[in-house]
Amino acid sequence: MTIDYHAILPELILSGTILVVLVADAFIRPRRTWLAMPISLAGVLASLIAVLTLIGSPRTTFNGTYRVDNFALLFKVFFLSVALVVLLVSLRYFREGRWYQGEYYYLLLTSFLGCVLMPSSRDLLMLFISLELVSAPGFLIAAFRKSDPRSNEAGLKFFLIGVLSSAVMLYGMSLIYGVTGTTGLYRIGAALSGTLSGGKQTLAEAAILFIVAGFAFKVSAVPFQFWAPDTYEGAPVPVAAFLATASKAAGFAGLLQLMFVAFRAEYAFWTPIFAALSIATMTIGNLVALQQRQIVRLLAYSSIAQAGYMLLPFALVSADRVVNHDAFAAATTYILIYAVMTLGAFTVVIALSRESSGLLISDFAGLMRRAPLMGVAMTTFMVSLAGIPPTGGFWAKFLVFKAGIERGGLGTALAVVMLVNSVASLYYYLLVPRQMVFVEPETDRPLASPALVTGVAALATLAILAIGVYPQLFYHFPPLSTLVGP
Amino acid sequence: MLSEYLPIVVLAALALAFAVASLVVSSLLRPHRPTPAKLAPYECGIEPQRLPKGERFPVKFYVLAMLFIVFDVETIFLFPWAVGFRRLGLFGLVEMVVFIGLVFVAYLYVWREGGLDWNEPVRRSGEREQVGEALRAG
Repeated sequence: MTIDYHAILPELILSGTILVVLVADAFIRPRRTWLAMPISLAGVLASLIAVLTLIGSPRTTFNGTYRVDNFALLFKVFFLSVALVVLLVSLRYFREGRWYQGEYYYLLLTSFLGCVLMPSSRDLLMLFISLELVSAPGFLIAAFRKSDPRSNEAGLKFFLIGVLSSAVMLYGMSLIYGVTGTTGLYRIGAALSGTLSGGKQTLAEAAILFIVAGFAFKVSAVPFQFWAPDTYEGAPVPVAAFLATASKAAGFAGLLQLMFVAFRAEYAFWTPIFAALSIATMTIGNLVALQQRQIVRLLAYSSIAQAGYMLLPFALVSADRVVNHDAFAAATTYILIYAVMTLGAFTVVIALSRESSGLLISDFAGLMRRAPLMGVAMTTFMVSLAGIPPTGGFWAKFLVFKAGIERGGLGTALAVVMLVNSVASLYYYLLVPRQMVFVEPETDRPLASPALVTGVAALATLAILAIGVYPQLFYHFPPLSTLVGP
Repeated sequence: MLSEYLPIVVLAALALAFAVASLVVSSLLRPHRPTPAKLAPYECGIEPQRLPKGERFPVKFYVLAMLFIVFDVETIFLFPWAVGFRRLGLFGLVEMVVFIGLVFVAYLYVWREGGLDWNEPVRRSGEREQVGEALRAG
């Protein structure tokens, strides 16, 4: 067995950076532990460059369990970009809060290492290891504000739910291995598309149910969503941003591979499950979001509702290759655009968290006058999350909607539910711009936002508008077809 | 297919029935004469002691136990490698050096953070979170 070291170069660089950060933190003077951030940043950039050198023909290594194709590269670039953003907005937050810094960057990078491994894992074991690598450091950094009971609660809830969902998922994986005799995703797909004897068929369906339930916890789909708002609220804001974007996208990357590669033959069994999950998730997420008065909780419920939209394309899978392709492209595009909007919104919240500890929506009062750039940015993100053109969020919703209509039947019904939900969500998304524009602030003092945070918010705004005006950026992705085989 | 599991179910039922029956029968037959010594929990012949209220263990025991496990696992992994040393060749050697290097980094970290000082650990990193911060946030 030879190992293709070039294929795993981005991961090797990231692992090396992780070690350097830990050693550096142990040896540099306490006043300078923030230096872990530039070190991490350099490592992530180097890893990003290594990913870009891999563009071209797909590579496979570790006996076919690890595959670097266009799908994997797209997600790797995405995860590393999210890592850059989270690192940039973390610097001032952790330095001023005087939390442990070296350890934070170490754990954050470890989590991102799991994210980067995830889209390449074409084996149940690899998939499980990557998923755990994403979650385990997440438990710790969610509880990073050690002296704040809410942060402890966040970490504990996330830990218990995470471990439970892993156990459920692992049980399902063991059943799949029992039915098909293999852990490779492609070979599982081949085994399931053949005829299974009666008992094995039932067992395979039970296994798929367990695995989907496990992933539903990870992506916080209703009825497995209750941990998300408490965890996001208690965790440090940059960590909440990470959990709502990269961690969730990693769950979806795993789910896409499992459903479109390994379990596609059983679609008649699992598409109704996804339809129910999707409707419940978007409806309950939106209804509960209507009552939120705290911005991080609002964003948490918004992220739950958005997960419902992302689950919708899974319910459209059929025997038709074109439909599958559209559904796959719609889901992937939605995940990527969603992450940009949500990261942007959290960036503005991080800027605000320097003066408001409660982070209520009413704290946004008059922000448009106090910090025009942040105000415009936040308005763009909220409008985009609601799905109004000319923003990226519109195209994300449009693609999912179009895939649903073209599928017909159940797809049309789902698309209509989604449309109704989007309209309802307008109310709470526009609450924030309303506060910023129409409500008088208590003070006229401009909001002091760190340059890095402002820069990231501006960049995310530009990205959202660019996608909105020029949707081809995301629309004609050749990579999206690589997983949806013939 | 399910019928293959019948013997297991029968065994489980028999075990349960036996356990319940022995407890019931012995409680009916035995004389009931409790003494303090009989009622005390059995601790290998040692007098059971109740810890004073509010007693706390120093958390360093926990750190020590965790460190022990880390290095214990390292040793366990060294054994199979030593057994297959010739067949694994240079590749195995490099892999093992990488593995030991990883654990060594963890060791460095623990040492610098004062995890190995038993009395009054020398806290190196001056960044303690402020309690005032938490009160303000709460």
